[in-house]
Amino acid sequence: MMALPDRSGRHPFVRKVESIALTPITRDERAALLALPMQVAQFDAAQDIVREGDRPSRCFALLEGFACASKTSQAGKRQVMAYYVAGDIPDLQSLHLRVLDNSVSTVSPCRVGFVQHEALRTLFRAHPGLVEAFWRSTLIDAAVVREGMLNIGRREAYARMAHLFCELVTRLDAVGLVLDRTCELPMTQSELADALGITPVHVNRTLRDLKAAELVTLSGRRLSVLDWDGLKTAAEFDPAYLHLARFDRA
Amino acid sequence: MPIYFIDTNNDDTFVEDDQGQDLPDAEAAREAALAALPDMARDKLPDGDHRTFCASVRDQTGVVIYEASLTLVGTWKAGGSAP
Repeated sequence: MMALPDRSGRHPFVRKVESIALTPITRDERAALLALPMQVAQFDAAQDIVREGDRPSRCFALLEGFACASKTSQAGKRQVMAYYVAGDIPDLQSLHLRVLDNSVSTVSPCRVGFVQHEALRTLFRAHPGLVEAFWRSTLIDAAVVREGMLNIGRREAYARMAHLFCELVTRLDAVGLVLDRTCELPMTQSELADALGITPVHVNRTLRDLKAAELVTLSGRRLSVLDWDGLKTAAEFDPAYLHLARFDRA
Repeated sequence: MPIYFIDTNNDDTFVEDDQGQDLPDAEAAREAALAALPDMARDKLPDGDHRTFCASVRDQTGVVIYEASLTLVGTWKAGGSAP
């Protein structure tokens, strides 16, 4: 399995909701989340889970692995808009937007839990407090894309890549998937190029620069942060846009 | 698909491609090398008036099969303020 074990043993999806809910979720809400009927499926790496143009009758929670949202230009150039990690619900908007306007594909082998829209509606009717948490989740997804736009539109490649690493480490840490400042980083250089809007050749150069500055090391598809403050400075990283409850509640 | 290695140099740093890329043919490797040049230039400019960016393609046997460079030359003209 690709992902590190969830230290708490809790469902990553519950863990995620807890990490962003402004009001701590109650025992009843937690029990309802854990009882949500879920059809679990396993996907290999580089598969589409849902495609642009689909009209889904269900959403999915990512239970294990890395996925990404992407769109492709007519010339075949792909832009990755966002990465998803365990606990995320990448197509939650399909509950209200009938036609998907992006694809979501696996980056590494993924375990995915499909939840019928109807089951989510039932959950929300019974637990209005969870509506707020899930609403926050879609708003945060939009904030991630806004930050991504600044990142690829206005930052140099070095800062872009540092920023992506800061974001992934922070999000993985929120669901307990960072141990000893090390996490999975399953993307190939070509996939990183699609997310950063630069060529694979420049990804290679930029990675080399980040390693030379002793900010990170990468080996065996694992990222280790050697100098968190240095990486944050290089990235201009301020985690406010991730709206993690531990920051927003203050 | 064959693997091609694209080495690059921006006058400061030579980077040997230790990963390689699966590309359909030599023409695709040429395009990958050319596409890297504006990326490298964007990250270095503005920074002085003279710089050359190079990218070369090695095939699986280590033979350099293609080489490209992009040169920046900036010059002050009469009426401009020389540094």
